[in-house]
Amino acid sequence: MTIDRRIILQAGASALALGLAPQGAFAQAEAYRIGALNPVTGAGSPYGSGMAEMIFAAVDEVNAAGGAAGRRLQVFADDTQTNPQSAVLAAKKLIEVNKVNAILGTWSSGVSLAVIPLVNDANILLMHTSGAPALSTPPANAKGYGYRFQATNDRFGRAFAEIAVKEGYKRPVTMAFNNASGIGNTQGFKKAWEAKGNKVLAEVVYEPNQPSYRAELQKVLAARPDVIVMGSFLPDTTIILREAFQSGANVKWIIPGWAANPQLIRALGNEATEGVISVDSVANEQSASFARYDAAYRKGQSQPGASNVYAAMTYDMVITLALAIEAAGPGAGTAQINAKIREVANPAGDKVFSFAEGKTALAAGKKINYEGASSVLDFDEFGDVTPDFGVFFITKGQLERRYVVKI
Amino acid sequence: MAFWIELLISGLVAGLVIGLSALSITLVFGIARFPNAATGDTMTVGAYGALLGHRATNSLLVGGLTGAIAGAIVGFLGYWFIFRKLAQRSNVALLVASIGLAFVLRAILGVSFGHSQQVFQLPLVRPWRIGDVPVHPNDLVLAGACATILAIVFAILHLTPIGRRMRAVADDPALARVSGISPSSVMTVLWLLAGAVSASAGIVAGIKTVVSPEMGWDLLLPAFAAAIVGGIGSPVGAVVAGLLIGVVQEMATPLVGFTYKIALSFLLMLVVLLVRPRGLFGKLEGAR
Repeated sequence: MTIDRRIILQAGASALALGLAPQGAFAQAEAYRIGALNPVTGAGSPYGSGMAEMIFAAVDEVNAAGGAAGRRLQVFADDTQTNPQSAVLAAKKLIEVNKVNAILGTWSSGVSLAVIPLVNDANILLMHTSGAPALSTPPANAKGYGYRFQATNDRFGRAFAEIAVKEGYKRPVTMAFNNASGIGNTQGFKKAWEAKGNKVLAEVVYEPNQPSYRAELQKVLAARPDVIVMGSFLPDTTIILREAFQSGANVKWIIPGWAANPQLIRALGNEATEGVISVDSVANEQSASFARYDAAYRKGQSQPGASNVYAAMTYDMVITLALAIEAAGPGAGTAQINAKIREVANPAGDKVFSFAEGKTALAAGKKINYEGASSVLDFDEFGDVTPDFGVFFITKGQLERRYVVKI
Repeated sequence: MAFWIELLISGLVAGLVIGLSALSITLVFGIARFPNAATGDTMTVGAYGALLGHRATNSLLVGGLTGAIAGAIVGFLGYWFIFRKLAQRSNVALLVASIGLAFVLRAILGVSFGHSQQVFQLPLVRPWRIGDVPVHPNDLVLAGACATILAIVFAILHLTPIGRRMRAVADDPALARVSGISPSSVMTVLWLLAGAVSASAGIVAGIKTVVSPEMGWDLLLPAFAAAIVGGIGSPVGAVVAGLLIGVVQEMATPLVGFTYKIALSFLLMLVVLLVRPRGLFGKLEGAR
């Protein structure tokens, strides 16, 4: 955990330095303040410190290229603890004390749904990595200041349906954790699956923190399914898979990647996880922007960038935001910057793969289309993107990517 | 039929955890006379203690004992440093202090072990089939362990001199005092016992689910419901009510679904309190 403290200290130190020392070229324009609000501890901790670090890396990249519209970017980091209450406190501090202009990198729908009203009230931007469909529309996204760099749970569900077809499953059932994200996954699956003229044989919505999920399992297994499609998280998935194995069920699983991850394999061992299909959005791995991100991630975390798709998302958040600031010109407020985000990220402009490249093109009066490290990053009218989905099979305790699904 | 038997078994297994934690609550309530909100987090302490013991020795028995001892120590320390000093205050003060202790315990566990989930690395076994009903061997082990713990607690309460003194204090503290029963020795044993019992509940829950700093707190509400349904201060009542709540919740799921089964334990509590305000096994409190 030393890295997390270091990051927080770095933020504090850079804030201090900015206050004390003249900043040369940046001296006149006020810095653009970014709140890095990441899940450094809690359920998101496998991703959070990498996410925070990539915000710093991308900010360094932007500042090294002369900043955006003459403004230096400055980061204030905090931890959501993957907990809505703590996230709200941290967001309040970022907004009221640090006076940030945007909050980047919230993870988990409960957290983003809790933070977005504060962001709306403060008239600043929120860029997040959460899946709940409710984050797309009013009231959560009434002002259009929320941007989602992850697929919605609904799209995850659509990907699940594609996979079920491809794998030849005929008798699916669903189990969903009772929150916006869990139900979003299974409803998305059901919609897409029934649109193909199929039927879902049984559906269960379960409560968190139960001492046992046997009755829930008993209900779906009574339908004699060939696959159980989950909208779940790590702890409940651990318990449900263990109980399913111990009740002798012989069934396949399609589970979102944040639940069917290496921690799940460590908890249950190879036998109980064999053949589980884990689905997660995959980074835009062929792009030049991914190569830049990957190099930064390897330097900071000594791991390949593809191991943390959420860090690729936070990296893209900074670059996209900086390009929009650049396009909006000096002295732009949130509304003007917000109006430029789709302009710099969506097609029809020239494809660009880094901030410096985009800045040069903008200076030459061209239209640009930033292609991100996490996805091609084209925002629809709700501020949502459509990444591709990697389909991983757990084989002998390893997550093995077999193919990619596009929806 | 097999369908209902399977639900019954699920309910009994879930009920054991609720019953054990309710037993700890009711012991404290009967003798120290306040609802101990730190029970949930003492459970968590027990689960982490057992986890460490199990990892170090690879023996579930040693792990379980380590956890129970850890819980007993926490129970005693809570008494010695907090509840003993507040003994003369109203039970609201004690309740609030116990909530505070719960937060402190959770924070210490969070800082020491992190917030990510941990599990007992036990071999996963396929079930036995008795007729059409799958029976998990692990559940039988846990049920046996719970039965042993209950037997020990009831033996202490009913077969030992200190148990008799504890029951005397529970009946009438003033009379116990004038009969020469020292409150401090009774209280010490009570808190050691209550801590160890909550820890056992936490260990069973931890083995069945996953261990995280929040786990005990999350299980506290049904435990309180069971303590009340069973009759505050009645050890037998707490265990029976725990099992009853577990069974009613699971058996009702085909009718009410999984979201509302939790509400059932409170519905049951309301009905019992309306029909029989002292709970299933509670005694009438005389006016003093």
